[in-house]
Amino acid sequence: MAGFAPLSEAGAAIFGASEFYLDNGLRVIVVPNHKAPIVKQMLWYKVGSVDEKPGQGGIAHLLEHLMFRGTKKVSHDKYNDVTQANGMDGNAFTSQDFTAYHQSMDISRLELAMFLEADRMLNLDLSQENFELERDIVYQERKQVVENNPAAAFNENLRRLIWGEHPYARPITGMPEEIKNLKLDDVRDFYHQYYAPNNAILVLAGDITPETAKILAEKYYGKLKAKPSPEEVDWPELKSGGATHLEMSLPRINSVRLINSWVVPAYVQEKNDIYALAVLSKYLGEGKTSKLYKRLVKNKKVALAVESSYDYGGRSYGSFSVYAIPQDGVSPQNLQKELSEELNRAINEIDDQAIEKTKLKMRSGLVLLRDNPNDAAMIVGSMAAVGMSLEEIENYEANIEAVNADMVRRMAKAWLRAENMVSGVLKPMEAKHD
Amino acid sequence: MIRRGRKNSYRVLRRLLLLMLVLYALFYAYGRWFGFNPEHILENSLLKKQNFEAEVQEVVSPRYKIKAYLYQDKTNPIVSMSFIFKGAGWSAEPSNQAGISALLEQMLLSGAGKYTEEQLVDILEDKAISISFSSGKDDFYGSVLASKENSTAAFDLLKTIFSAPRFEQPELKRAKERLFEALKQQQEQPGRVLSLAFSKELYANHPYGRNPLGSLQTLKKLQRDDLVEFMQKAFTRENLIVGVAGDITTNELAHLLDDVFSSLPENMKLGKVPSFEANFISKNKDIELTTAQNIAMFAVSGVARNDPDFYPLYVANFIFGGSGLNSRLSLAARENEGLTYSIGTSLGLDDKQPLLVGSYSATPANFDRVGQILLREWKDFAQNGATKSEVNAAKDYLIASYNLRFASIADIATILAYMQRDNLGRDFLEKRNEYVDAVKVEQVNNAAAKYFDENKLIQVNIGNFAKNFNEQEAQ
Repeated sequence: MAGFAPLSEAGAAIFGASEFYLDNGLRVIVVPNHKAPIVKQMLWYKVGSVDEKPGQGGIAHLLEHLMFRGTKKVSHDKYNDVTQANGMDGNAFTSQDFTAYHQSMDISRLELAMFLEADRMLNLDLSQENFELERDIVYQERKQVVENNPAAAFNENLRRLIWGEHPYARPITGMPEEIKNLKLDDVRDFYHQYYAPNNAILVLAGDITPETAKILAEKYYGKLKAKPSPEEVDWPELKSGGATHLEMSLPRINSVRLINSWVVPAYVQEKNDIYALAVLSKYLGEGKTSKLYKRLVKNKKVALAVESSYDYGGRSYGSFSVYAIPQDGVSPQNLQKELSEELNRAINEIDDQAIEKTKLKMRSGLVLLRDNPNDAAMIVGSMAAVGMSLEEIENYEANIEAVNADMVRRMAKAWLRAENMVSGVLKPMEAKHD
Repeated sequence: MIRRGRKNSYRVLRRLLLLMLVLYALFYAYGRWFGFNPEHILENSLLKKQNFEAEVQEVVSPRYKIKAYLYQDKTNPIVSMSFIFKGAGWSAEPSNQAGISALLEQMLLSGAGKYTEEQLVDILEDKAISISFSSGKDDFYGSVLASKENSTAAFDLLKTIFSAPRFEQPELKRAKERLFEALKQQQEQPGRVLSLAFSKELYANHPYGRNPLGSLQTLKKLQRDDLVEFMQKAFTRENLIVGVAGDITTNELAHLLDDVFSSLPENMKLGKVPSFEANFISKNKDIELTTAQNIAMFAVSGVARNDPDFYPLYVANFIFGGSGLNSRLSLAARENEGLTYSIGTSLGLDDKQPLLVGSYSATPANFDRVGQILLREWKDFAQNGATKSEVNAAKDYLIASYNLRFASIADIATILAYMQRDNLGRDFLEKRNEYVDAVKVEQVNNAAAKYFDENKLIQVNIGNFAKNFNEQEAQ
């Protein structure tokens, strides 16, 4: 085991976390928070829907469900009974890049949760009966969570347009016909390939010291055997097909939405660019003091809402989006014209003063992140999962501070280009005459 | 022969006993060292159970005698305040002003005193101060969260928002437009359409049956003066309840209360929401809408927070449909038959009509079967109640998970406000586990028999109920 990583030199560490590795490759991060005698355990696996073979859409998510169906040592009923009797609040989620399992509990029950989590990493009991039940349940989940939303078809088509051959084009749930055709043997292979200590990160956040965490991590996870590292996905090179546009009219949709999207670098590609892109998003369209809000909503009154977002946290590319709702009586074409114009203008107006102000807003709230250990586990875990070192996570403030106007302008000009933009318009079935 | 035979049989018996002993020892050792033995893990746990003393102090301001509960915590330099204006929620709006509290919720942050909306938001963002307002069914809520360093600025802003809201025309126009848009989008989601229809079915013309956002007609008419008047009537020291948590002293808080809330009028002037005479008679109604899944909502009368039946029904609900995957409903419909992704129940604690309310959703092919399971489980629970081990397991969870609610300063401040709202007593945090522990199986089963009454079960469904519906085609 390596020693504890030193805290950031700047002394402005956000979380005051420590980390160490077990011999089997499991990375462990500890975020102490002694407000109450509780703790959150999160186990992140570097596997998600991007790792699925073609036609096997939804297998990562189905496996996440099956992880609650019992192991060779602990039956499904026993698992439910023990976690309930011990007051554990647990759940799990699957994303495109990751799958995470988590429980909050009183600190005196942590070892129980660690036993159960370590046990199901390698000892899952995958029976045909449970497989069929959970396959039906995830089918119902897709119907409820995705398809009952009238905008679902638009969202999924837009993803396909943005990502083309890239696995990010596929829905995490899988398509309904894929779910119905999944096979137990394929789930088993997927489990054996990706669930291993050397493909996971354990985060413990709460009333625990790094020293105790080390003893317990070693005790419960230390004996698990490492496996050959799974091969990273062979990410297809994204070729821009020029600006593309999707327009859909869907039943039950009552108002117009407009979205502009660009594929941009994520942390794994350009470590140094993500902070400038994050500042750019905040400057352009996050909140009521952002440029696009002031211009499009307040001054020109062509939009009811506008907001931007940047996602750097994937294992492949990142994405940058601007989302807007037109003011009543403004056509989507007009709003697009205004949006493109104001976007260019805002990019040309990037200067030191505006960027310094934006950075201040991004830094000021960081102290509040120390409050809730559950949030801390989520944030630290998601950043570590893309490969950030603890130092990088803790130095977020300094990394934002290091961004200057030149860097932000360069990112905007390099990536938010009209010729790379995918735009989408979702609108009601018929034109409204009101 | 006999003796030898006896000796032999003794020997056989001894060997058999020894063998059994060895087998038992092996079995025990396996269970202890290689199997799953939760008791053993807990007994030998390095981290022991700690007594968490959530000491709550009562602070009274010197001038206006405003009372607040305080939980001091210096783990992090953060302060949070949660406040409630009791009885000032959307059900208390005059019917011709329906939606005014939703509008107020937005307008309170649209500029105050010397600050325009943009300047106000600028300060909030620069100092990472969170001030939020929310209009609920019975009450109007607000909260403040800030670092200790910026808490003075945060409370100064709150004071200005109460004493000198600007409510200017351009901001008012924008806020209304956002609500018009929200009304349109509300109709897009089947779950929200159902929820509105369900309220209408339960409450008919009582204010609880209204749309919380009001209507296009009522919103259009609202002006600046209406907002000022509503605020004057609704936000008063009489109906104010405050909870504070974090890095602040009793003395600081006492003076802060007088300062922040000094501009509020003394007495609440908003009309009282009429009482509601529940006369639920079983019905099951369908609303036809093309959706991927059908959704159901159902309810019967429940109990108020201070009713003697509260804890028994709280435990009963947990067992029946409140405990996630391990509830009776979820085990029957989801875990054992794979028919639905989610099914559950909860307690609604609204002042005028508490409810035991539930919902499920399933594709049209599974929907009726889930409905049958609900009724089967419902009747069984009413007739036979829960077992002793179910009640003990529920109590174990409710007690062992109790400390989880102290994860964030903001959550703690909210709990402190609710403790006062519902008259739970200042010692509630210390006593709560005793209240749960005292619940007896008979009480749970009496509550099940009394409240799980199928003759009073109201259910409304939305989705595809036409006989010729084809799920494959609908995809």
